[in-house]
Amino acid sequence: MKKKALTARKAGLVACTVCHLLSPDGAGRCPRCGAALHSRKPDSIARSWALVMAAAILYIPANVLPMTTVTSLGMVQSDTIMSGVVYFVQSGSWPIALVIFVASVFVPLLKLFILSYLLISVQRKSHFRPKDRTRLYLITEAVGRWSMLDIFVVTILVALVNLGALATIQAGPAALYFAAVVVLTMLAAMSFDPRLIWDVKEKMHE
Amino acid sequence: MSDQLPSKEDFPEAAVAAVNRSRSRFSLVWVVPVVAALIGGWLVVKALTEKGPQITITFKSAEGLEAGKTKVKFKDVEVGLVEEIRIAEDASHVVLKVQMVREAARFISEHTRFWVVRARVSASAIYGLGTVFSGAYIDVDPGKPGKPATMFTGLEEPPIVTTGLPGRHFILESERRGSVEVGAPIYYRQIRVGEVVAYSLAESGTKIVSKIFVHAPYHEFVKQTTRFWVASGLDIRLNAQGIQVDTESLVSILVGGIAFDSFRNNSDPEEPAAENASFTLYANRELAKERIYSTKNHFVLLFEESVRGLSPGAPVEFRGIPVGQVIDVKSEFDFKMNKVKIPVIAAVEPERISFIGKLPEGVSRERLADYLVERGLRAQLRTGNLLTGQSYVALDFFPNAKPAALVRGGKYGYTEFPTTPTQLEEIGTKLSQLVAKLDRIPLDQIGNDLSATIKGAKRIANSPEIIEAVKSLNAAVKELRLLTVELRTRTAPELNSTLKQAQASLSAAGDMLESGSPLQSRLKETLEELASAARALRVLSDSLERQPQSILTGKEPTE
Repeated sequence: MKKKALTARKAGLVACTVCHLLSPDGAGRCPRCGAALHSRKPDSIARSWALVMAAAILYIPANVLPMTTVTSLGMVQSDTIMSGVVYFVQSGSWPIALVIFVASVFVPLLKLFILSYLLISVQRKSHFRPKDRTRLYLITEAVGRWSMLDIFVVTILVALVNLGALATIQAGPAALYFAAVVVLTMLAAMSFDPRLIWDVKEKMHE
Repeated sequence: MSDQLPSKEDFPEAAVAAVNRSRSRFSLVWVVPVVAALIGGWLVVKALTEKGPQITITFKSAEGLEAGKTKVKFKDVEVGLVEEIRIAEDASHVVLKVQMVREAARFISEHTRFWVVRARVSASAIYGLGTVFSGAYIDVDPGKPGKPATMFTGLEEPPIVTTGLPGRHFILESERRGSVEVGAPIYYRQIRVGEVVAYSLAESGTKIVSKIFVHAPYHEFVKQTTRFWVASGLDIRLNAQGIQVDTESLVSILVGGIAFDSFRNNSDPEEPAAENASFTLYANRELAKERIYSTKNHFVLLFEESVRGLSPGAPVEFRGIPVGQVIDVKSEFDFKMNKVKIPVIAAVEPERISFIGKLPEGVSRERLADYLVERGLRAQLRTGNLLTGQSYVALDFFPNAKPAALVRGGKYGYTEFPTTPTQLEEIGTKLSQLVAKLDRIPLDQIGNDLSATIKGAKRIANSPEIIEAVKSLNAAVKELRLLTVELRTRTAPELNSTLKQAQASLSAAGDMLESGSPLQSRLKETLEELASAARALRVLSDSLERQPQSILTGKEPTE
């Protein structure tokens, strides 16, 4: 940081997270919109850790249990996310396999790893590439919602493929756990305060 | 307000409250991972406890089976999944690794049988049609409880009878397999009541032992005296009785089968046969029916003539009633006597004949045959069916037969029963007797007498009286001819014209009577008038009856 910029905290101010009004530090509520004011998100690291861990635990049943149960002409077949991917690979539908793999396996896992890395690095007061880490955080937040793709696909399939004895698709228990993983990782990303990455830098300069 | 920063002092209480709230929130967030861990732990525990035994099944081929997809089903409930299919080390079969559910551990024992259910069509039934769409699956028959096991050899064919099916097993013993197949139907009064479960050669190799299963409630009809017979496809028999065709059903024509019946006329209650009771399987219905007589006396009959058409199984009849049958026909040549002898061994069931009255003095039941032979009872070979040439042995009384007796303990091991020559042979002897008699007739003398008679006749024919009689006969014939001519020329035309007149008058009468003719319509009118006159007369008589004075006073005016 060549050019020293003034931060709100340094100026003894707190920005409102809702209307972005700057208020003096220590003020409980935003005088304009009444939202609670915090210089940094309260218990950011602890909350994020709790949610990331919960998501990591639920990620296991989400992948082990069947996502869909297809009943076609009396033949019942249960598919997990990975077996679905394997099925598409074997049947030659590489693009679909790739989409499912990226959206349902790769992205949630990536989010969990990124969040864990960010949390560890902040806790260890790391100075390593704060700009890139912030970018990682932005990616996590941006990509988070796309993981719900799998859930939406399952929802639509269950509603559409309901042809009685000919073919029916039912959502498996993994759908619930997978949705929980997506929601929890999104919440974890939300509760993480990226400003913590820069606080270390600032302290060092003081 | 936007350009002027509010001082800290403006919100002192709020700031304190915020700090307090953030402190109390700290522990609550950790509820989320704890809940997640609890769910995860519960899932792990559930998966571990629900995991049943892992078993290995071997099959000859894995046709239609797929690792990770093929299910193991019991009563159509999924109880396991094929996890792995590999070829055995010696490449003679395939080995399936199957993960069973926990409940399956309760019924899997060393007696458990596994087989693959595929769609199959046999002559008697169609199975597993559902698997055409859903793919093959493995079926389980738990069998009786036993020691736990993990290695199984799968059945290549589905078992006919599974454990727990109500009914009873029976054992049938027969000399030949006939048309008995595994799965062949069992019939009772032409209703399908069971199946053949298995058949095998007895250890001694002398008979076939078939195991059958009769479904409840029909197993109650299998009594101790029940007889089983092969209702083989189409039972065509050619014997002394002619041609007989028997069948149980269309299915049995295709695949054969077994039928049973008790052949009892009386309705005495009888105990049903026990599980695995043993029965004899007869070759056909007739044999099954016949052997109801337990006592059999074997005799050997020595014939000298041809026994053509006599085969084992041919009936022994007493005046047309079957009383036994021929068991064997042999042939031997006696050099000492220079004669051919044909010993025919026959089994006679004496119980078929009932006796009325007391046995004669000095004759025991055992010696009855001797008594009857003394009275002329003989065996004779007869042709039963002229068309087929089948023969049978007839027992009958021949009072003129040469005296004979039963020979017990002969060289044949059976009692020798005396025979009498066949009728044809008898005719031969009678014919030769006739020729001998003809020889004795004095033909020369008869010829001389005959020529003398002819001479006398000639003399009579040439006498003058005869010639005269012929002449007068000639004249009489001439007169008769004249009479005929007169009749034809004169009487016939007159008769003809009379007939014509009669015809004309008849047709005139017909015209008159025809409907619509003037006579008829006039007749009708007359009749109608007559009817109205009669009506008027009745009215008059009625009024006179009511008012007799009216004949004097006149009719009273009516109101």
